[in-house]
Amino acid sequence: MTGKIIELGGRRLSLSNLEKVLYPSCGFTKAHVQEYYRRIAPFILPHLKDRALTLKRYPEGVDKPFFFEKRCPSHRPPWVKTADIHRSDNEQMTVCLVNDLETLLWVANLAALELHVPLAKAASPETPDAMVFDLDPGEPANIIGCARVALILQELLSRLGLSSRVKSSGQKGLHVLVPLNSPEATFEDTKTFSRAVAVILEKNYPDLVTAKMAKEARKGRVFINWSQNDSSLTMICVYSLRARQEPYVSFPLEWQELEQLAGAGDPERLHTLQAEAVRRAEQAGDLFGEVLSKQQKLPHL
Amino acid sequence: MAIQGMWSGTISFSLVAIPVRLVKAVAPGRVSFHLLHSTDYSPLSRRMFCPKHEQTVPPEEIIRGYEIVPDQYLPITDEELASVSPERSRTIEIVEFIDLQEVDPVYYDHPYYLVPLKGGEKAYRLLAEIMRRTGKAGLAKFVLAEREHLVAVKSDEGALALVTLHYSEEILPDADIAPKAGTVEAAEKSRMQKSIRNMMVDFKPEKYADGRREKVLQLLKSKKGAIVEAPEAAEAEGEGPPDLVAALENIMAEMKKNR
Repeated sequence: MTGKIIELGGRRLSLSNLEKVLYPSCGFTKAHVQEYYRRIAPFILPHLKDRALTLKRYPEGVDKPFFFEKRCPSHRPPWVKTADIHRSDNEQMTVCLVNDLETLLWVANLAALELHVPLAKAASPETPDAMVFDLDPGEPANIIGCARVALILQELLSRLGLSSRVKSSGQKGLHVLVPLNSPEATFEDTKTFSRAVAVILEKNYPDLVTAKMAKEARKGRVFINWSQNDSSLTMICVYSLRARQEPYVSFPLEWQELEQLAGAGDPERLHTLQAEAVRRAEQAGDLFGEVLSKQQKLPHL
Repeated sequence: MAIQGMWSGTISFSLVAIPVRLVKAVAPGRVSFHLLHSTDYSPLSRRMFCPKHEQTVPPEEIIRGYEIVPDQYLPITDEELASVSPERSRTIEIVEFIDLQEVDPVYYDHPYYLVPLKGGEKAYRLLAEIMRRTGKAGLAKFVLAEREHLVAVKSDEGALALVTLHYSEEILPDADIAPKAGTVEAAEKSRMQKSIRNMMVDFKPEKYADGRREKVLQLLKSKKGAIVEAPEAAEAEGEGPPDLVAALENIMAEMKKNR
């Protein structure tokens, strides 16, 4: 077993099993995962900061069983920042906050390939910073169908005076986020609002869209999952790896780019692999910055 | 009904290797029902409930614990369980042959058929035929669905069948069931022998049917007209705040006009 001890900012971090292949179909090892998160750190860290991390760990690679870990492992290094969150049952739970590169690399060392975070920060768990529309295609619909729905959604939102951003989920769908960044935002409002939007889109595009969770309704349509707007749920963080056959990334897209790609009709071009993710992020910067900064208020509520 | 393969690999012993596919030999004919809410026929789902906190527990907060004594548990992670789970078998390696008659039926657990795959037909026929004539069965260890089973490979009218066997520690003792030996009158004995002889027939399983299943199916057929429909979950809650819905309707109409 190969391991090494690295020192970052005076903190010691021991990395283990670096040669372990976590994506067998393309020989992508834990060392590669470390390298990916090290290079994407400047872009992903602001989106992880101060949020209760849910680790989705794949100790034996993407083909083997995974497990979720919500509690911050007790064997964590002393310098890992944590938060105690109160759950609805008044019990406390200690969670990890990935606020720096060292913690990100420690988390990667646990083979936590996928990093999931709530829409709210740990200190204000009932205040969503954004509203999300999780677009999930039901076969034979695919990501191109999601792109069409996302573009309609973008226009609808912009006519309501709301700016939005889109990213690939890294799996099959797209996520459209509406930045709020206001202390007055509540999950009750974002849920009510997103559901009304989903229902109206379903009504106007019944062949393309469904707002219903039921499997049968989703067949051949894009399911707008509005119920993700919930304090108890987490979403894949932008720039996180996904545990698919190959290391795909949940990656931001420009609206214009999405329009072109939807027109071109090649679903593959809407998916971003890790190497391209690093290249594009380093070239274009954080396309999702606005999600963390732009202040907006939901109208007509 | 198409037979679904649940595993494929090879049966092997000494120098023989026979490629086969494992398929189920029985499909329980139980009529199953969904549970519905009587007020509006919504299908019900099962949730795990924590009586202490009086709330449902989400899957990510559920772990396994092995009970040591009441209220004391050893928590076990999926990771730990996976580390002791055997690897999936690629072969059914026959290690011994036994006399089939020696196996008490109480050991029989689950029956399967083995279907020959391309290139294996000749060896398959040969093994099935020899085991049939000699009344032998092959014993093997075999991992199916993460459990390591003791299995018997036997001949079944020219086909090979596989039956998973219980491990001996799973069999409950029957020592106290048989009554103590006592004297029996000869007349009594011959009377019982005679009545058994009179009732002897060949075993024809097709003569018997699951009477309740037939009756349940009859009942369902007679009720065909009384179908109820579950409500649509999203619709039941309404569309949303009237102001917002009106604004969305207007925008939608404009957008469609411009397309």
